[in-house]
Amino acid sequence: MAKLTRSKLEEYGKKAPAKAGRALVRVGMSTCGIAAGAEEVYEALKGAVAQRNLDVDVRKCGCNGKCYAEPLVEVVSGGLPAVLYGKVDKRLALDIIDKHVINGELLNDHIYGIDEGKGE
Amino acid sequence: MKLILLKDTDGKKEEAVFQEKILAEMKKENVQGKWQVVRVADMGIYNKGVAVKILPEGFTYTGLSLDDIPALVRTSIKEGRELGEKSYGLKDKQVKIVLRNCGRIDPENIESYLESGGYQGLKKVLLELKPEQAIEELKESGLRGRGGGGFPVWMKWQFARKPESAEKFIICNGDEGDPGAYMDRSVLEGDPHSVLEGMLTAGYLVGANKGYFYIRAEYPLAITRVQNAVEQARAYGLLGENILGSGFSFEVDIRLGAGAFVCGEETALIASVEGKRGYPSPRPPYPSVKGLWGKPTVINNVETLANIPVVFSRGGKWFSSIGSPTAKGTKVFALTGKIKNSGLVEVPMGITLREIIYDIGGGMLNSYDIKAVQTGGPSGGVISREYLDTPVDYENLQKLGSIMGSGGMIVIDESDCMVDLAKFYMNFCVDESCGKCAPCRIGTTQMLEYLDSVSKGKAREDDLPRLKKVAMAVKKASLCGLGQTSPNPVLSTLRYFEEEYLEHIREGKCRAGKCKDLLQYSILQDQCRKCGLCYRNCPVNAITGNNKQGYIIEREKCIKCGNCFDVCKFEAISRG
Ligand SMILES: Cc1cc2nc3c(=O)[nH]c(=O)nc-3n(C[C@H](O)[C@H](O)[C@H](O)COP(=O)(O)O)c2cc1C
Ligand code: SF4
Ligand code: SF4
Ligand code: FES
Repeated sequence: MAKLTRSKLEEYGKKAPAKAGRALVRVGMSTCGIAAGAEEVYEALKGAVAQRNLDVDVRKCGCNGKCYAEPLVEVVSGGLPAVLYGKVDKRLALDIIDKHVINGELLNDHIYGIDEGKGE
Repeated sequence: MKLILLKDTDGKKEEAVFQEKILAEMKKENVQGKWQVVRVADMGIYNKGVAVKILPEGFTYTGLSLDDIPALVRTSIKEGRELGEKSYGLKDKQVKIVLRNCGRIDPENIESYLESGGYQGLKKVLLELKPEQAIEELKESGLRGRGGGGFPVWMKWQFARKPESAEKFIICNGDEGDPGAYMDRSVLEGDPHSVLEGMLTAGYLVGANKGYFYIRAEYPLAITRVQNAVEQARAYGLLGENILGSGFSFEVDIRLGAGAFVCGEETALIASVEGKRGYPSPRPPYPSVKGLWGKPTVINNVETLANIPVVFSRGGKWFSSIGSPTAKGTKVFALTGKIKNSGLVEVPMGITLREIIYDIGGGMLNSYDIKAVQTGGPSGGVISREYLDTPVDYENLQKLGSIMGSGGMIVIDESDCMVDLAKFYMNFCVDESCGKCAPCRIGTTQMLEYLDSVSKGKAREDDLPRLKKVAMAVKKASLCGLGQTSPNPVLSTLRYFEEEYLEHIREGKCRAGKCKDLLQYSILQDQCRKCGLCYRNCPVNAITGNNKQGYIIEREKCIKCGNCFDVCKFEAISRG
C-alpha cells in the first residue's frame, strides 16, 4: 500500500459522499450484535447476494446503539433513505434482499429507524 | 418515492387497521405517483398514540384517530402540505459525535474511515495549525475528559506539553471496568481509527512519539480491531516516521489489562503498563508531569479521544455550541436496567434525565414506576425520581450525590431494593479493592457488613449513623479514586431512600421483595382457588397438597425463589 500523502488525504476530504448506484447493506457486528446472531445474518445476506448475482456491498459495521433490537441490518439502496431493520434472522435477511434491495419494497413491522441524511 | 410510516406508539398494535384505512383513502382520493405505506417497529416516538410520518417531507403526526385519516391523506399525502393540529414538533434528541461512524463504516477498513472524513482533523493539526493555535482550538471547544473526572483536555495536554523531555507518552484508557458500561468497547469495535487519530493528535501536540492502547483482555474483538487499525494506519504512513511529511513520528502498542477495576485508575494503569502490579500511587505528581517510566504522560479515555478528530475537523467553536454552560459536546451513555430501549445513546450535555429515559429510551420496561437512576457505577450514586428534570452535566450530577462517571446509566424501578443495590456495589468494591490502603481495604468490608445486616433485618437503627461515619472516613482517607468514591452508592441511597433502610430495620420488611432473608412465602388460604399452578412451578417441591384440600408451603424447603408469587393469578401468595 502506498503511503498517504497530504494531497491524497485532501482528495478524500473533498470526495462527495454520495455514491450512486451500488446498494449498501450494513450489518452491526460488534460484540453484542454477534452475540445476538449477526454472524449468521451476515452469512445469509452474503449468500443471497452471491446466489442472485447482485452487485451489493454487504458490510460489517460496528454498534449502532440500538442494542435492544439486534441483530441490526441497515439498507441503503435505490435512492431510498437508509432503513434500519432490527431483530433480523436468516429468513428476514432473505426478504430484505428480495423485497427491499431488489424491488425497493420496505418490509412491514421490522423497521427500527429511517435516516434520510445518512444514505452515504 | 413517498414513504408513509406508521406506528402505534402505545403498543396497542393498531397499525394494521390504520394502514388499511390510509390505503383505502388514498385510493378514494386517487393519489398518484410512487408511494409505500409501511408499518414500522420503532419510530423513535413513545406513548403518543398512533403516529404517522411522511417522507421525504418529514411531516410527523401523533395521537391520530381513524377519523383524522381522510384529512391527513388529502392534505399531507395528496397535496403535500402540513396538517397543523396533530403535528409532532419534537426532533430526535440524540447528537452523534463520538458515535458518528459507529454502525456506518467498516471498522476493519481504513478506506471506510477515510471516506467519511477520517484523518482530516489530524491533517489540519499537523499541517495547517501552529501547535499553540491547536491547543487554543481545543480550549475553545470546552472538551472535558469522559473517563469520569471531567478534567479539561486542553489543560492536561498543556501540562504535558510544557516540560522538556526526550520521551513523552500518550495512553488511551480502554479499561472500562464499570459493570454495565460498554461505551468504550463499542467505540473501539465500531470506529477504532477515530481513537487512534485522537492519540496521534495528542502525540503531536504534547511532543510524544509513543502511544499505548490499554484495553481489557475481556474485549477480544476490540483488541483485534484496534490491532488491525494500527497495522492499516502504518501501511498508509499514518504511523511511523515523518507522518504526512510533517516531520512528526509516532508509534503505538497495545497493552492488555487483566480486568481489575483499579487498573482503570490512571496511576495503577501506568504501573500495569510498566509491567508492575496494578497498584495506584498518590498524586501529585500527576501523570502529565511524571507518568509512564517517570516521563510526562497524557492519559485519556477512549471516548475523550474519539471526540478529538471532530473538534479539529469541525472547529472548537462548533463543538462548544453543543452542550451546557459548563460541559460541551455530548456524552455517550450505556442505558440499561428497567428501560424499554436499552442500548447506547449519545446526547448533548445538559439534556435532562427525563428526556433520556422517556424520549429516547422509550420509557419504563414494565408496569412499575421509576424509582431512581444510577449513574457512574460503583463510583457513582442514585438520583431519585424527583430530580429527573435536572440537566445532565458533571457539576449537576455531583451536587445530587452521584457522578457523570464514564457513562453507565441504570434505570431503577419500584421492584428494585435500594439496600440491595448499595450492597451489590459494595460487594463489587470489596472484591476490587486492591488492598494497598487500609481505609479502603477495611472500610469497604465494614460498610458491606452493615449493609448485609440491614438486608437481613439484623441491623439496629443506630447502625445507620455508624455506617455513614465509616463511609465519610473511607471517602476522605482512601488513597485512590476507587476507595474515595466507593461510599457514593451507600450515601446516595441513604440520602434519598433512608426510609427503605429503616423499613428493613424496624419492620423487617423489604418492600421490593429483593432481600430474601426478610421474605416468608405463604399461601393465603381464603384467596387461594386451588388451581395448583404454584405447586407445579416450585423448583424444589416445597409446595404440597392437592386441588381438593388446597396447598401449603413448607418453610424448611422453600428457597425463596419467588416463582409461586409470580405465577399465582389470584394474589393468593403472600411474601410479607
Ligand atoms: C477506580 C477507578 C477506575 C477508573 N476506571 C477508568 C476506566 O475504566 N476508564 C477511564 O477512561 N478512566 C477510568 N478512571 C479515570 C482515570 O483515572 C482517568 O481519570 C481517566 O482515564 C482520564 O481520562 P479523561 O481525562 O479523558 O477522562 C478510573 C478511575 C478510578 C479511580
Ligand atoms: S397458584 Fe395461587 S390460586 Fe393457584 S393454588 Fe397456588 S396459591 Fe392457590
Ligand atoms: S418461593 Fe420458590 S421454593 Fe418457596 S415455595 Fe415458592 S416456588 Fe417454592
Ligand atoms: S453493540 Fe450492537 S448495537 Fe450495540
